[in-house]
Amino acid sequence: MSHTGDKLLIDVGSTYFKVSTPDTIEQYFRDFSKDILDDLMDRCGDVISVYDKSDVYICSSANGGLSTLIIGVTNSFSLKYATNIAFNSGINIIDTILYQDIEEHSLPSDLIDVVIIVGGVDTHANLFAQPLYHYLGQLNCSNIVFVGSSQDAPQIRDNIENVAILPTIVDEKLHIVEEHLKEYLTNLYQQDIEGKEDIKNLYDITSNQIFATPYIVNRALPLINARYSVADPFILLDIGGATTDIHYSKDLVDDNMVTENEYDRLVFKRLGVYKSRQSLILAAQNNEFVYELLMHLKVTENILVEQSEKATKILMQLAIFLVLCKMSHYQKSYINLKLLAINSIMLTGGITKVLTIEEIEVIIAFFYKKILTSDHNPVAILDTNYDIWTLGAMGE
Amino acid sequence: MKVVTGVVGNDIHVVANRLIDLSLRARGYDVFNLGVNTHLEEFFDAVVETGAEVLMISSLNGEAEGWGREVKLLKARYKTIDDLIMMIGGNLVVGSGNSEEIVARYENYGFDLVCHQVDLNTGLDLLQALLKERNIT
Ligand code: B12
Repeated sequence: MSHTGDKLLIDVGSTYFKVSTPDTIEQYFRDFSKDILDDLMDRCGDVISVYDKSDVYICSSANGGLSTLIIGVTNSFSLKYATNIAFNSGINIIDTILYQDIEEHSLPSDLIDVVIIVGGVDTHANLFAQPLYHYLGQLNCSNIVFVGSSQDAPQIRDNIENVAILPTIVDEKLHIVEEHLKEYLTNLYQQDIEGKEDIKNLYDITSNQIFATPYIVNRALPLINARYSVADPFILLDIGGATTDIHYSKDLVDDNMVTENEYDRLVFKRLGVYKSRQSLILAAQNNEFVYELLMHLKVTENILVEQSEKATKILMQLAIFLVLCKMSHYQKSYINLKLLAINSIMLTGGITKVLTIEEIEVIIAFFYKKILTSDHNPVAILDTNYDIWTLGAMGE
Repeated sequence: MKVVTGVVGNDIHVVANRLIDLSLRARGYDVFNLGVNTHLEEFFDAVVETGAEVLMISSLNGEAEGWGREVKLLKARYKTIDDLIMMIGGNLVVGSGNSEEIVARYENYGFDLVCHQVDLNTGLDLLQALLKERNIT
């Protein structure tokens, strides 16, 4: 149990918000017909009014955060590095485009918060030309940042209006350089949160800065060992209403990427149990092992279309399974974790209020047996009291 | 002149790689060394990021044969590296074999220079000669 002193911590998510006092943590489904502040005050105004504005700490992942589209010249370096930095800055990636194929790439329909253009070490030049400017011209985006070769910066500046220019993220050793882009994206995310009308109103009840939730969680990771007996290495799954976040320690990846972070973050958009329920079901139906898993759980596939507590439970179990699949060598993705080396799987978010440890362990055991054909069985740890979040929010 | 080099596949023999790095620098090349354990795609990607004119792959443990067959197919997916000079050296087969036959096979895979069990300095002289022949400076 955490001791938050006389502080009140509030986390505004896409589906529900939670409110933590030194004695209790309450969780409420959001009422989307109301402004966040009104919703909050209606449910727990009496608690909030007891606290001084300087003792209220708020973080938010409402609206799902910022989205980015990355245009880079290779998969192994520029796109991969920018992807890593974006995830670690709490940004969701809509799409990545290999520059040489940009002319065949369709335009995303969503409004993009930030486009990242990347490619080339400083001793190389002329990596981009007309096809890039043409594509950007058709795009609906709010910010554009260039982090490629410094030799290309003048040309980029001449051709793209209001582009932010930062040092390249691929250095002369072909290693990743994170700081500048990370700082830029984190600031943008911060501005976005503070710019949202809904969120702005929350400054009525706090005099502290409102942070992005992924930032808060990431800040807590190095402290987790002090709070829990977690056996390293571990991964943290944050299965929420709209997205699923995975935080993992760097020793779990075998990679050409050398960074100074101890922990990285990875997001699977549209793998949540409420707001993105439909896409979660679709992902499940496309996984060849899911039917066997449903059988193992003694339910039929009809459960996927039911609206019941049991159905939500099963969906959450499937979400765990699908996320593990996506991170394993079974599915080739941007990064694959060495899942056989993991000793603990920690879960946080709404899922901890719905599933029991046994219901989670069944899934983990099934995954390791079926997909990795191994008897390895990491322990599951439930962050039932949102200790991770309180740790991060307190900034201890 | 920029050169991307490294050891292909799951090969961890590092000594030749270090020597190649040093020798290339001594001869005035800009070297981008990807080290051991490098996948084929990483080599080509590094060429794109750096604008290197030469790709110098080494293979010591006998893996090259398998990777060699994939070179043409993979390289064809890239739109900007047609003029790349490709060189490979080390132990290019498992055990011993007929050198002429090995060279012909790797040339067929798309390599311009094939140095099966050729001493490094000899190999680098061959590269210099080829660059001169093609008028690349
Ligand atoms: C040291 C060594 C190891 C060490 C490596 C330590 C390290 N981190 O570097 C260890 C013990 C780990 C090891 C492991 C293995 N090894 Co070993 N190893 C050797 C050994 C004895 C010396 C290699 C060396 O460093 N030589 C010194 C350097 C300077 O010479 P070189 O590598 O030959 O490179 C020269 C040239 O080839 C050339 N060159 C190299 N690349 C290029 C590229 C270009 C473009 C050019 C022009 C020239 C060039 O330039 C260099 C200088 O002239 C050789 C045998 C030998 N005497 O060569 C076997 C040898 C390379 N290993 C071999 C094998 C099979 C293995 C293992 C598979 C053994 C096993 N069953 O586990 C593993 C593979 C591990 C892996 N994943 O890659 C075989 C490869 C056989 C083949 N190709 O048919 C060899 C030849 C031994 C043998 N005769 O069987 N090995």
